[in-house]
Formats: sequence, C-alpha cells, structure tokens
Amino acid sequence: MAFDKMELRDIEVWDGNFAAAQALRQCQIDVVAAYPITPSTPIVEGYAKFLADGYVEGEFVMVESEHAAMSGCIGAAAAGGRVATATSSQGFALMVETLYQASGMRLPIVLNVVNRALAAPLNVNGDHSDMYLGRDSGWIQLDAYCPQDAYDLNFIAFRVSEDHDVRLPCMVHQDGFMTSHTAQGVKTLTDDEGYNFVGDFKPMNDMLDFEHPVTHGVQTEEDWHFEHKARQHNDLMTKVMPKIQAAFDDFEKLSGRKYNIVENYDMDDADVAVVCMGTSVETAREVATEMRAKGIKAGVVGIRVIRPFPFMQIAEALKGVKAVATLDRSAPGGTVGMLFNEIAGCLYNLDTRPMLSGKIYGLGGRDLTKKHLVDLYTELQANVDAGKITTPLQQFIGVRGPKLSFL
Amino acid sequence: MSEMKKIKNLKEFSTSADRFEGANLLCPGCAHSIIVREVLNATNDDLVLSASTGCLEVCTAVYPYTSWDASWIHIGFENGSTAVAGAEAMHKALKNKGRLKQPERNPKFISFAGDGASYDIGFQWISGCMERGHNIMHVVLDNEVYANTGGQRSSSTPIGGSNTTTPAGRVSYGEKRNKKDMVAIMASHGIPYSAQVAPNKWKDMVKKIQHGMAVDGPVFINAVSPCTTEWKFDPKDTMMLTDLSTDSLVFPLYEIIDGHELNITYRPKNVVPVEEYLAAQGRFKHLFKDEYKYLIKEWQERVDANWAYLNRREEARV
Amino acid sequence: MANTGWDEFEIGAMLRSFDGKIDDIAGTLQEDRKYSPNNSFMASVADWRIEKPIFSKDFCIDCQFCWIYCPDMSIIARDKKMIGVDMDHCKGCGICVEVCPTNPKSLLMFPEQADEEAELAQWPAKDEKEK
Repeated sequence: MAFDKMELRDIEVWDGNFAAAQALRQCQIDVVAAYPITPSTPIVEGYAKFLADGYVEGEFVMVESEHAAMSGCIGAAAAGGRVATATSSQGFALMVETLYQASGMRLPIVLNVVNRALAAPLNVNGDHSDMYLGRDSGWIQLDAYCPQDAYDLNFIAFRVSEDHDVRLPCMVHQDGFMTSHTAQGVKTLTDDEGYNFVGDFKPMNDMLDFEHPVTHGVQTEEDWHFEHKARQHNDLMTKVMPKIQAAFDDFEKLSGRKYNIVENYDMDDADVAVVCMGTSVETAREVATEMRAKGIKAGVVGIRVIRPFPFMQIAEALKGVKAVATLDRSAPGGTVGMLFNEIAGCLYNLDTRPMLSGKIYGLGGRDLTKKHLVDLYTELQANVDAGKITTPLQQFIGVRGPKLSFL
Repeated sequence: MSEMKKIKNLKEFSTSADRFEGANLLCPGCAHSIIVREVLNATNDDLVLSASTGCLEVCTAVYPYTSWDASWIHIGFENGSTAVAGAEAMHKALKNKGRLKQPERNPKFISFAGDGASYDIGFQWISGCMERGHNIMHVVLDNEVYANTGGQRSSSTPIGGSNTTTPAGRVSYGEKRNKKDMVAIMASHGIPYSAQVAPNKWKDMVKKIQHGMAVDGPVFINAVSPCTTEWKFDPKDTMMLTDLSTDSLVFPLYEIIDGHELNITYRPKNVVPVEEYLAAQGRFKHLFKDEYKYLIKEWQERVDANWAYLNRREEARV
Repeated sequence: MANTGWDEFEIGAMLRSFDGKIDDIAGTLQEDRKYSPNNSFMASVADWRIEKPIFSKDFCIDCQFCWIYCPDMSIIARDKKMIGVDMDHCKGCGICVEVCPTNPKSLLMFPEQADEEAELAQWPAKDEKEK
C-alpha cells in the first residue's frame, strides 16, 4: 500500500476541524478509532475522505460509540503505533472511564476535543464543561485558541505524548463552532515538514513484539496502586513541561510560530488582568489593547497548557498584578470556577497577592462580547482604585434575568 | 496463514507448552482455566489476548504477577473485545506499512470475557466488533453469573437459579427469566463462525477453535464454565458438572457457519435428565421442594424444545 | 519487591512475562523458559491446599485426562508421558483424581501432611467390583 502526498498552499483557509484533520493526515496515524459527534464530526469525516482519496495509509475503525473509540485506541496504542481520535461533549463524557485507563497504562494517544457543553439541557455549542471533565484524567491538555493553533498543537501533541520519557496521552482542545467551524487563514507545513517534526513512531512495551510479551492493565491493590499513581503524577509534573517547551522551541524554528506554556499578553506592567482559555483569549487581547488606549494597564494570561497546570509560570505572570479575574466557561456546580481555584492556588503563597474574582460566562456557546470584557476590565480597575474587591467574588456574565452573583 | 497445529489425540495435545501459568488466583477447580488452556493450546501461533473485567482478569494479572505468556491487555468490564480489535487494527496497519517487528508471524487475536461482560455490559462492544469484521475471536466463559463480585444474576442466568440479586426465598424461586441466546444473536451478525463449546469435549472444542482461527473475520465462542463457587458443587466435580451440562443438553454443542448453517457437533449417547444436572448444584437446591417441582418439569420441556429446534435448524440446512 | 519505591517500577504498571527475548513461546517448555520474577509461574499456591494429589505411575496409562482437565497447569506431561504433579501450582482441587480412568486410580487425594512414600507403598489394589 502507498499513499499520496498533498500539495498545500502556504496559507489555506481552514476551520479548526479541518486543520486538525490535516494535521492528523500529515502525522500519518496508524490507527484512528472514532465515532462522530457534533461539533468534532468533521475531523473524523475529513480523515475518512483523506483515506478514501488515498492520502492516508492506516486503519480507520468507525466504532459504535465514543467509549469504544477510546477502547480501540487503547488497544491499538498498546499494540504499538501512532493513534488518534476526536470527540466532543457527551461523547467525551462517555469516554471518561477509558481516559483514565489510557493515561494509567501510559499510552500515547492524541485526542482532539472540540469543546461543547454537557447536557442537560442538550446543547451542541462550545463551552468548556467537557474539557473540565477531563482535567483529573492524567492526560496532557493543550488548548487552541484558533484554527492555526488547532493545526499546530496536534504536531506538538504527538511529539510530546510519544516521547519515551513522557508516554502520556494528550488532548488538543478547541472551542466548538467558534474555532471548529470558523474558517480562517492557516499557515501550513508541507507533508514532509509536518511528518518529520513528529518523526517515526518508536514503539515501547508494544504487544505486537512477540519476542517480549507484555501484560497491560493489571490490578494493583492497596500495596501497589499508590506507587503507580505517584509515578504517573511525578512524570506529569516533572517530565512533560520541559518536553513541551522543547517542542515549542523546535516548532518555532520550523514554522516561525511561537507558542508558550502560558501565553502572556501585555502582562509586563499590567495592573489588571484576565485569565482565560480558548477563543476568549483573542477577544480579551483585543479589548486589553483598547483599555490601554484608555489608560487602564490591562493584560491577558491565556492558558496554553491546562495539564500539567503551569502553576509557577502563572504565579510569575501574575505576581505584580493588582486585580485579576478568571473566566470559567463551565457551570461551577456549587463552588467557584476551576480557573478561579487553580489561579487562587498559584497566588496564595506570593508576597503580594492580586485581588482575585471569578466570572462564569459563555455557557452553551453564549457569546463573550467585547462589551463584557470592557466592563470586566473597568470593574477590575475599580477594585484597584478602591484597594478592595467591590463586587461579589463570583459573577455570571451574559446571562439574562436578574444579576447573578455569589460569595 | 500458518499451518494449523496437528492434534490427533490427547497424548499429542499433551506435548503443548502452556502459555497460561499456574499460581493464578482462580478458585481451585475453576473451569475458566481449563477452557483458556484448551483455546490457547489449540495453536502454536503468537497470541494477542485481552480479558474483560471478571474472574479471569482479576485472578491472572494481580500485581506484581502475570499468568500470561503472551501479550495481554485489560481495559475495563465492557471493552475487552474492542481492545483486541484495536490491536488487530494496529497489526493490519503496521503490516501494510511494513513496520512489524516480526512480519513473518501470524498472530491470533482473542478476547476472553465472562457472561456478564459479554451478554450484559459488553454486549454493544462485542456486537460492534462482530459487525465490523475484525479478525478476532471472542470467547465467553459462561458461568451464568457475576461470579467475580459474588454471584449476582446476569442475562445469562437461567430460570430458577438462586443468585445474590435474585435469591430464592420464602416467596421466590430465584431467577425468573431464562438466559438469552447469545450464540444466535452473534450468529445473526452474519459472522463466519460461532459455536458453543464445553471443556469436557476437548476435541470438539479444539476443532472449533482451530476452525475459528482459520476463518477470515470475527468469531464468537460460548464456552460453558461450571462455577464451583456460585453453582455450589465440590471443586473436584467440575468435569462431572460439565459432562452433565452437555449430556443433559442444557448446553448443546453446535456451530453456526456464516450466520446460518447450523451443525450439531455432539450427540450424547445417553441423554441425562435435566433433573440430574440441576440436582448436582446447590443453586437449584430449592427447586426440589414440592411447590417448585413443576419448574424442573418446565426445565426439561425447555431443553427438549431447544434440542428439537437445533435439530430442525440442522436438518433444514439454511 | 514489597519495599519498591514509586520511582522503581515500569511505567503503566506493565509486567513482562519473561526476562529478555523469547523466540518461540509455544515451542519452549516451561523448564527452558526464562521467566521474569513477575510471572506467576515463579509464585506458589501450595499453601492453598488442604489435600494433595499423589501420583502412582504403576497403573498410569498416560491417557492425559488429568493433563487436559487440570485447571492449574500442574500435571507435568513430557513426551506424551505423565511424569508428576507440580506441587507449587496445584491447588488441590482433586479434578485429576476424578477424571483418572485407571483401576486402581493412578492419582489419589491425601491430606496435605501425608507422606508420599508411605502412601505409595500402600496404594490400593484393583477394585474387582468396578466394571
């Protein structure tokens, strides 16, 4: 069997889904086991068309559920080869059991998660509920803000995930519809550049090596389990970030596009800052610039690597800031938002702590408008001027009805 | 296709080098182990194995020990079939790409699962694997109960059995539903081979396993696995129970080729009354009270009707 | 391994069946395999037994019923001959005795403490009443 290379223009007009599908094609996946779900379906469809047109060589297994998709990916990854899939929302939720198994077995699998709300009520649009559901699963989580990122981060994901010092699965997140279905200019790599960046797959503990049979997925009870989970946590905490940084550095040399573990925007002298993820980062940057024109020293901290969480990098970025707001695109279910919690943890032991408040926004794909962010920065500046937080700690942005706030 | 292992008789079979090891944690007298040995020893080809959560899995890969002399994976309760299907897909991919480390080898992909993991929680995954045509074999170790968790009923549990979630009691004779016909359901997927086997009839079993390994496509095997703990009989009597199960025709041995052609592969010379099969097991003890004796009669009628049905299917050659 | 620290394990709790490379597992008898310390073959369940089987080769016809029906891979058959019981892996279920067709049986169950030589010396004679 053979496959054809594809001639790409230097800049293609792709949405996030197609950008991800193209990256998967260029990485030459050995097995894709997948199940369609809105809004990630076009990744799987795009890959299927590449296969039908002879641009992909490998097995494409259209399974009967997302749980089976990840189960098949785990079996394929344990067998020893490059494996990827894509999902969203309910499908991601159905996969959750197997996510823990993939990471616990230390299998490099790349999962494109096109973020979407979790029912009920049913909703197909983008929010970060599904992304948050996976955050304790032991996977590396990278976050794309636009189709270009969705393309580039897939290469980073394979490179880091398959590294023998890492051997942990990796999610590449992008916002449902806002990124996945919004066509933008995407700067491309040639097929050779893309493939060579991730390199040939190097098997490890592979079931298909019949001269070295392996047992995967053992039972470890109270006398062993803790040590194995500690090992997994240690490797996530200590081994992944340097590899991501090295991959970002090499990728910059290759493409000229620079990625950072934490994406700081105008943070050097910022008084007020917003911490957010996904498409909101770009909106916040635009508003921060406008606020600076109005004399408010505004900055944005975008989270690029969600797991392992860049605790020290964020503390460093925020240490001189006076007021910070976290933007959580997920219903917090009875507490503050995930980002509020994480950022509070980063800041707690600093000598000078910024004031911290949290916003819940954009559930079910509700737009985060520039006006929301102008109001937010203005409020943060008011806190700075007052020397204290002047509002409740948790406020909902963009929801109809009486103003909703807590704490 | 590699050459099929020649097994003329039991002496010849006994020269096999087992790829399943002792000091596993299965109960003394467990039939699972006997079935697994007969399946694995039916071939000399390399193996990629999975086990779904259940007795076999929790007793053979408890850290720091493995009882498997072949690559083996366990993911969860429901997805052992898909795990092996994923590995089979990877094998196909790497073969096409010329990246297999030992390209001359011809591995067999086998997933083992209990009746709970097959009839119930893993049903959809197995159906998917059968429908997609993976070159895998799914072997059910059918002990008609969730034995690993202490004897809860599954959809393979037969009428009248006393189980922890359908116990016999003052006003109940236990399980009220008859087991579902998984072999027929799987055959309905149009797969090239499905069969019911029993470890006492080792030659029939080996023949079917070898047939299953030789065909191209998914294979479903349902193996009766008498459970000393949950069926409640003395561990030494496992083979006696297996004999009773096949010779009473409670577990008739047959195969279905290409989803329709049914062949009965074992016809007992002396058919044993179902009553004897039931009487040998503690789980049916209460059926011998006067008020439940009608159930034993119904049992016999059901088994007779099923045997007649299988014979008609065989005769019809459709 | 009981005192092994978290940094000393294989990642993913992966276990290997053998030490180093093995070429043809199905063609390699147990005594010729280099088992890893993680292979359960290296462990023992002898302490599970209350009763143990004793094998008398005088009456054995090498039918291999005990080999095929042993759930614990504990009947040692070599060159089509039954040569003994692997007492590290036998759990004492007694199936081998039940399926033994010879008269008298070539395998019988005895209390775990029984003396093998003494029992072999007083092995039962052929039972004439049996068919």
